[in-house]
Amino acid sequence: MSQYYLFQDTKKCIGCHACEVQCKANKNLPIGPRLCQIIQVGPKMIGGLPRAAYIFMPCFHCENPWCVAACPTGAMQQRSSDGIVFVDHNLCVGCKTCISACPWGAPQWNPETGKVVKCDYCKDRVDQGLNPACVTTCTTHCLKFGKVEDMTQIRRDRHAQTVASLEHCAF
Amino acid sequence: MSVSQCPVTESILFIDDVIGKGGLTHPRSRRIAEEIHSLLDDVAWGRAGDDHLPAVLALIQDLLQDANEPEGYQLGEHLHQTMQLHGEVFESHVTTHNCPTETCEWLTPAPCQMACPAGIDVPTYVTLIGQGRDAEAIDVIRQDNPFPWVCGLVCTRPCEFMCVRGRMDTPVSIKFLKAFAAERAMSEGTYRNPEKGPDQGKRVCVIGAGPGGLSAAYYLALKGYGVHVLEALPTAGGMIMVGIPRYRLPREVIDREVAMLEELGVTFAFNTRFGEDVTLDELKSQGYSAFFFAIGAHKAYNLGIPGEADFPQTVEAIDLLRRVALGERRMPGKRVVVIGGGNVAIDAARTCLRLGCPEVTIAYRRTRHEMPADEEEVEQAEEEGVHFSFLTIPAKIVGKDKKINGLRCIRAELVKREGSSRMSPVPVLGSEYIMDADVVISAIGQKVDQLCMGDLETMDWTRRGTIDVNMVTMETSIAGIFAAGDAVTGPATVIEAIGGGKRAAEAIDRYLLGIPQPQMPPVPVRRRREACIELPASTKTVIKRPTMDMLNLDRRRTTFQQVELGYTENMVREEARRCLRCDICRRCGKCVEICRDKMGISALEMGYLDFDHPGPTDLRVTEERCIACGACAANCPNDAMKIEDRGDERLLMLCGTILNRQKLVFCNSCGKAMGPMKYLDYIRKRTKSVTQVPDGALICDNCARTKTARFNVGTLPA
Repeated sequence: MSQYYLFQDTKKCIGCHACEVQCKANKNLPIGPRLCQIIQVGPKMIGGLPRAAYIFMPCFHCENPWCVAACPTGAMQQRSSDGIVFVDHNLCVGCKTCISACPWGAPQWNPETGKVVKCDYCKDRVDQGLNPACVTTCTTHCLKFGKVEDMTQIRRDRHAQTVASLEHCAF
Repeated sequence: MSVSQCPVTESILFIDDVIGKGGLTHPRSRRIAEEIHSLLDDVAWGRAGDDHLPAVLALIQDLLQDANEPEGYQLGEHLHQTMQLHGEVFESHVTTHNCPTETCEWLTPAPCQMACPAGIDVPTYVTLIGQGRDAEAIDVIRQDNPFPWVCGLVCTRPCEFMCVRGRMDTPVSIKFLKAFAAERAMSEGTYRNPEKGPDQGKRVCVIGAGPGGLSAAYYLALKGYGVHVLEALPTAGGMIMVGIPRYRLPREVIDREVAMLEELGVTFAFNTRFGEDVTLDELKSQGYSAFFFAIGAHKAYNLGIPGEADFPQTVEAIDLLRRVALGERRMPGKRVVVIGGGNVAIDAARTCLRLGCPEVTIAYRRTRHEMPADEEEVEQAEEEGVHFSFLTIPAKIVGKDKKINGLRCIRAELVKREGSSRMSPVPVLGSEYIMDADVVISAIGQKVDQLCMGDLETMDWTRRGTIDVNMVTMETSIAGIFAAGDAVTGPATVIEAIGGGKRAAEAIDRYLLGIPQPQMPPVPVRRRREACIELPASTKTVIKRPTMDMLNLDRRRTTFQQVELGYTENMVREEARRCLRCDICRRCGKCVEICRDKMGISALEMGYLDFDHPGPTDLRVTEERCIACGACAANCPNDAMKIEDRGDERLLMLCGTILNRQKLVFCNSCGKAMGPMKYLDYIRKRTKSVTQVPDGALICDNCARTKTARFNVGTLPA
């Protein structure tokens, strides 16, 4: 895993897709590739009410990335300093092996350049101390970006809350 | 700017550079620069229309208006200078879709088209012929050459010498495909003239009805001018009629193609020699606004040896050919010696055989290797029984009582001489001997007959005795008079004369309309971008250039019937399919490089792509190693290499040649194609070190995402 963690508070997310829009605008992408994607699960009838969940799917930046292993040209790389997995566009030849190798569908095809693009946590912004594009625009502030160690606190707080008020549940 | 680089691409890169360096901070300048960039991009990728360049110029003016913004002003000034200096190149990109420097990738021309002196769009018409669209092919050819049938039979085919297929096996038989299509179109009645332009109300006089004169007449007539052609001979065609013998080019072929010109309203006056029967002043008083001289080179050089003027049996080859072409069939003598090594010498010798001369010898100063004559013709002459005497220098014609009985010759040896690429023959002392002969025919070259041009005193001539013209516009030193063909180039080829005539027609049009003449020679026009014909790599490789059927030898020695019998329809269609479509594949070799160096697969064996060091080529071996990843296709700048899923197969195609076809594997969940098994195996092998993938769980990237999202919901804390 990378040093970072992109946490989505699924309880807050309303599925507005603003994160996706901001991501594509920031990376100047054409129709097709979605580096992060909100996937709607449901709606399902829960206790007589329709409920849906919106799951934010960026790249997980695996510890042992399959895409990096699959890439024959060395374009797909893991940054040694913080573990971010990214594509070097100068090396990518568009063989799409990473797309097929990733079990989570993170690398995406850019038909305009004939190369692969993927979520790199906006490493250029991160290096400047900024948040990734998707996080900055989240309308409900459900996306949080930070070091892994900071994120555990949110989870803990959240869990404590659910335990305290039993009428709420995630689904 | 380096000479090889194209100013269009150069300008685009310059703007890229300025923007990339953050050199344009003012938003207005930046916006204008980006607009210019996108317009120039259209020019470089063949998408530009007539409005593009005026728009670019207007935008540059916008940049120049704001002198308070130095960054934008500097960029504007640089672009303005480039456009001023190379305006014609920018325009030619828009109108011809051709970048002769091969810098603009999409507009890189095919070598065959660039080799053609008339600039015919060869790949397009070859593809059309391959599809059986003969009439369309003829329409395409006639945009650049009004005589596809004539050229299909007698062209020296510079295109075939440049043909890329020749690096693989043998060049495509470009020349004859034309003749077949023309003949078929003519016989079906689909050989048609294009629409004539509106009447310009002006008349042009063409002097000389050879290929140069007739080409100019054709294009001028199409532009709407009234054209009148003067010809000294009793028939049209010039050298193609009286220089090329009938066994190579039947008279009907010339007559039918010339008749197409008459249909456009071109009028002819035969047996009318300029300078004798009419003068320039007379013609001017008849109301012609421009003149085009294509008088050819019909005067033979003298041998310059003793005895030459003493015997009536000393004949000039060009004179003999003319007389025979006009109907004479008298045998010149029993033992004939032809002096010379060019096509005219071969033609004269073969004509003599057909007239009944039992013994015909060609005496040439150098060896077979140095002969300027077409190799095929030399072979055909030998088959028919023409003897060759190489390294033979004629010294004197000997005889008695006005009758020749021999040619005194000296044997020669070849010596390398400084400053000359050809080996020079040097006489060997004491090697004189007498070659028996009744007739001596000289065929050592022709020159322009300057006598008839006597009353044009201000006309400039070159040192070689040809008319001095501006080779871009074919203008002579006299305003309103243009010239082309052999009269300008000296004895040359049919296709060069046609190219010159076409250039002259363009220049005459500009002259009469008062438009300034171009400074840069015209660039061949890419007429279309025809879709490629699909066929398997094995077929593409296996088809061989057909051998030409010949008339039987007995008849070749006795009659003037056409020697080359032509290809069958099937042969022609197959032959056209051998074309590698170099108008689309620019042979940059990126596909091979990526497959070998980046992917490490080396599936493509295409050594023919390298011009300087061609390696072995076999398109069929691709499927052995190719995993159909599509990296080659993704990096092809011209969409020559394509990867396509069709039904349950993935196809890799280079200009229509199917290099690989493999069965696809589909996503278990949504049914999306995931690539062939070989491709998935390749990935599995590479990712083995990271994790074991359970077999059978084949799902595509989209489904993988959705599946993970669902799984995540299930594991959310309750």
